[in-house]
Amino acid sequence: MLMMRQGLVDPARLVSLERLDALRGVSLDDNTLVLGACTSLTDVAADDQVLQRAPSLAYACQRVGNVRVRNRATIAGNVAEADYASDPPAVLITLDAECVIQGPGGERRAPVREVITGFYETSLAEGEVITAVRVPTWPSASTYHKYISRSSEDRPCVGVAAAARFAGDEIARLTVTVGATAELPQRFDDVTDAVHGGVLDADTRAQVAAAYAERIEPISDARGSAWYRTRMVEVFVRRALEDLAHAHGVAGGVR
Amino acid sequence: MTVNPIGLDYPMKDARDRVVGTMRFTIDHEVEGMAHARVVRSMVPHGTITSIDTAEAAAMPGVIAVVTGADLAADDRIASPFFGIGRKDQPPLAIGKVRYAGEPVAVVVAETERQARAAAETVWPEIDETPFATDHLEASRPGAPVVHDDWPDNACGAFRLHRGDPDAAFATAHRVYEMTYTTPSANPVPLEPHVGVAHWEDGRLTMWSSTQWPHVVRNELANIFGLEREAVRVIAFPLGGGFGAKGQVKMEPLIACAALVAGRPVRLQLDRDEVFFTVAKHAATMRFRTGVDADGQMIAREIELHYDAGAYANTTPGGMGNAVVRSPGPYRSPNIHITANGWYTNTVPTGSYRGALTTQVAFAYESHLDEIAHDLGIDPVELRRRNLLHDGDEYATGESMHDVHFAELLDDVANAIGWGESAAADGDPPHIRRGRGVAVILKSTPTPSRSEARIACRADGTITAYSSGVDMGQGLSTTIAQLAASALGVHPDVVDVVDPDTDITPYDAMTAGSRLTHAAGIALGHAATDLLAALAELAADQMEVAVDDVEHVDGAVVVRGAPAMRTSWGQVLADAGVAELARDGVFQSEGGAFAEPMDVKGVASVHWHQGAVAAEVAVDIETGKVTVERCHGAAFAGRVVNPTRARQQSEGSIIMGLGPTLFEEYLLDNGQLVNPNLSDYMIPSVLDVPVALTSHNMEHVDRANNEIHGVGEMTIPAVAPAVANAVFDAVGVRIRDLPLRAERVLRALDAQETTDG
Amino acid sequence: MAEAEETVTVTLDVNGESREVEIVADETLVETLRRRFGLRSVRATCGIGICGTCTVQLDGLAVSSCSLLTQQVTDAEITTSEGLADGDDLAAVQEAFLEHRAYQCSYCIPGMVVAVDACMKNRPDVTFEELREELAGNLCRCGTYPQILEAARDLISARNQAG
Repeated sequence: MLMMRQGLVDPARLVSLERLDALRGVSLDDNTLVLGACTSLTDVAADDQVLQRAPSLAYACQRVGNVRVRNRATIAGNVAEADYASDPPAVLITLDAECVIQGPGGERRAPVREVITGFYETSLAEGEVITAVRVPTWPSASTYHKYISRSSEDRPCVGVAAAARFAGDEIARLTVTVGATAELPQRFDDVTDAVHGGVLDADTRAQVAAAYAERIEPISDARGSAWYRTRMVEVFVRRALEDLAHAHGVAGGVR
Repeated sequence: MTVNPIGLDYPMKDARDRVVGTMRFTIDHEVEGMAHARVVRSMVPHGTITSIDTAEAAAMPGVIAVVTGADLAADDRIASPFFGIGRKDQPPLAIGKVRYAGEPVAVVVAETERQARAAAETVWPEIDETPFATDHLEASRPGAPVVHDDWPDNACGAFRLHRGDPDAAFATAHRVYEMTYTTPSANPVPLEPHVGVAHWEDGRLTMWSSTQWPHVVRNELANIFGLEREAVRVIAFPLGGGFGAKGQVKMEPLIACAALVAGRPVRLQLDRDEVFFTVAKHAATMRFRTGVDADGQMIAREIELHYDAGAYANTTPGGMGNAVVRSPGPYRSPNIHITANGWYTNTVPTGSYRGALTTQVAFAYESHLDEIAHDLGIDPVELRRRNLLHDGDEYATGESMHDVHFAELLDDVANAIGWGESAAADGDPPHIRRGRGVAVILKSTPTPSRSEARIACRADGTITAYSSGVDMGQGLSTTIAQLAASALGVHPDVVDVVDPDTDITPYDAMTAGSRLTHAAGIALGHAATDLLAALAELAADQMEVAVDDVEHVDGAVVVRGAPAMRTSWGQVLADAGVAELARDGVFQSEGGAFAEPMDVKGVASVHWHQGAVAAEVAVDIETGKVTVERCHGAAFAGRVVNPTRARQQSEGSIIMGLGPTLFEEYLLDNGQLVNPNLSDYMIPSVLDVPVALTSHNMEHVDRANNEIHGVGEMTIPAVAPAVANAVFDAVGVRIRDLPLRAERVLRALDAQETTDG
Repeated sequence: MAEAEETVTVTLDVNGESREVEIVADETLVETLRRRFGLRSVRATCGIGICGTCTVQLDGLAVSSCSLLTQQVTDAEITTSEGLADGDDLAAVQEAFLEHRAYQCSYCIPGMVVAVDACMKNRPDVTFEELREELAGNLCRCGTYPQILEAARDLISARNQAG
């Protein structure tokens, strides 16, 4: 709608899906949250099951734009817009969320990570629509940091999502995704896989943060230069991992 | 009368319409037969217009007229297609060349707004691009691109002040400090955009406009069309915010020209990006050099100011005089040399921005003083105390200061913030550092200036006050009711106030410079005195008593000692067969400091506005992000007319001031403004407001002194320096360039580490 | 798309009244409410859903009427600040704003009123802090925020006492 107002797109016809109740609401399929495509970000953020099983997703949805945007914006629309500066994609990718996609040839599933392919670009083919977003609930702890460098109403300079499952004190699985810094949300599994089996102590956190800062080639805009974003990636990956360590009660977890 | 209207916490008269939303702004005004305009703007910052093809637009549905600057220049109904307060250098539509990206080059008038928009998109001006200068220092250098051929050195105003013997004093100074500070361009962002409707009838022009300066708009329009002033009528409804953006003359000439050519009433409402293209705050570069003695007294000062005028002069040429006299700050300056220069650049024309020409220098002089204090090892509040002006002191202009309260204001804000106590808070994570800062400022009010007012009483018992002061959120019309009521000895409920209309309401210079409460108050006082005398004469005659034997009590004439002999004013007039009795009052201030631009001296301001702010910040040393946690503002009000509204002025000023302090700025790329929208150019939200925000509007201790002063912009200039000083207190880095962006602070922290390490 | 001025007739439910109006096909809700319904409280300002001066309720939820096509909302109840008042009786939110002088130039105020009202209705347990966060999406350049928060605090404590 905004792109239309700004003359970026000029469609001859618009199709509204909002009256399709079947595409709205949150359900649970085994241990996976199923978010109907047309569920508003407000409803995702306030849903009890999301709050319990994917609190970082609820939080990220709550931090998008303002309440009026959240009331209208849908979870599938958020993915399909592929806006680099939006909050939920980083969390969805961190949690291994998948899109259920209906097309002329039937239904397929694809990870959100593969659906978003560039600045406002997706791998959705002509005639395909997202009908649901499936969010696995594997982590025992997850978090999202939205760092804003200007007014409270600004979009993120850097957004960091992190999720972990622990086996005792050991990291059984860890994923980290950095949003709003590059064309695509940045997740480096080789970096986080390398610390599986270890303890999420200060050294490990610093190591992962440094690796993310080194790997990402950030954009420059009014919210921060590439130099600044690199620094912020390091700070907020570290802080996000501190959250996870704190949530798990890692000894000396929080500085 | 049971209450004194001065100091009464009286709600705005139209409060209900304001809250529900039924009040009328200029955006709501329609005229029968009205057509709609859409402006075509230059995409390039500087160039010669080779052609503008309007044929396609003219043929589009609903289009009535497509007008270019060349059309205006050729139209013999237009006496002079140029306007401007300082210099008549600005055309409503670019003529011959464009001087900034975003400048209007054509206007399309159509039956509907949509048709006008659609047609405007097809108008493509051909412009031969020429080199441009968007930086004022670059524009000031020889060989820079020339913005106006008439001003080949890009000079847009110069003033100079010299007092004492600065060279000799510098030679004897204990220490000498020299620093340069900069502040960027910004936008006042009134939420209501500029909007107007022009209607020509029988050679007479009526202009409804969202303006703070209705009489100046009238005079400028008369000049453009070669009309008598009385042939132009300007009507101003309450504004959805002004903050200077709607000062002087803005879109009115363009709308009036469009209506003239189209032969129809024409309405134009700007989009948000167009507001950014219409007026900007002056960017400034300010070099301060100061010599102090061993006690920290500033004995020698040299101030060099450069202001970015933008593409057209507007207020800049004369404004440089104001910059000069405001730049010493509220301090004794026995030996001082000041220069201020404005420079044309290829950027959005500048104008007023709440705290106009003052927020720039206040940031510089209050940061500078703080730097000196820290270097000397003197407490910054104490160093200010040693230098502040007191009653009877001579200011840099040579004028004797009166009714000044800088020391009390400084103490007030220092106490409120807990100056001298540790700022550290329990529970802060280790990357958070806290600090406190203060700033004290002064601001001159336009001098000389004139405000007229009228009060009318009628036989039907009604009382009406007339002023051309514009209500723009300060609640001026209600303030006028309170001031008139006080002068008449009645309750404000019974005084109606008429919205500005140059055919009806008497002359007023401008609603700016925090001057109206003071100026209108005095003018209304004179009108009331004359009106009461005339009523007393009529009544005494009717009651057959001497005029000295009657007095006024709550809207009636009463014989002294015989309260039963009482006739209401309405009855007095009815009995006299007079339908309406009206009297005018005039406020006229005298000055003269600016008669010789190269030798400013004398009375620069009839009253010096005074304010102070203290701030506490939390700085995240890992990100550089500054959060203002506490803020207290103080202003000298003389007498507070309305406590809530005065508080809203002081605290609203602080909130507005936080924007350019922390994040507001025009961002340019290749001469183009890249953030002309409220997503990329942020203004403070409720979450950006300090959790602890307080204020104090200080009044005369002497209850007999009833002088009232404006409080509209007394805290805003002190916000940025107070916050910058607090950042230094917190983390030891000095930021000399606004805004205090997180990245800028982090780079300074890095540099500090390098230096220290 | 705009030049042809293709019009359609739609039925809208505005402030409790159902009315048929002719609109331009791609007209935004703010345009319709201002032009066809003469509702002054709804004001387009930023045009991109940021500032909140065009806030209305759509089935009770706050939305930006500048960012909605009128044709999208033909089956919803639309409420503006005018519609919150019942004749001369103002809504509790409006009374609280009046009481605390939560207005200066007042251009943003009806949007604020609609936003506070929607938040309190949709989030019956909303805390003051949550309401403050939600209000961050409505901008006020005069800086009337302190009085708006005072009004909000009052409304929350009145609700707590009643509940």
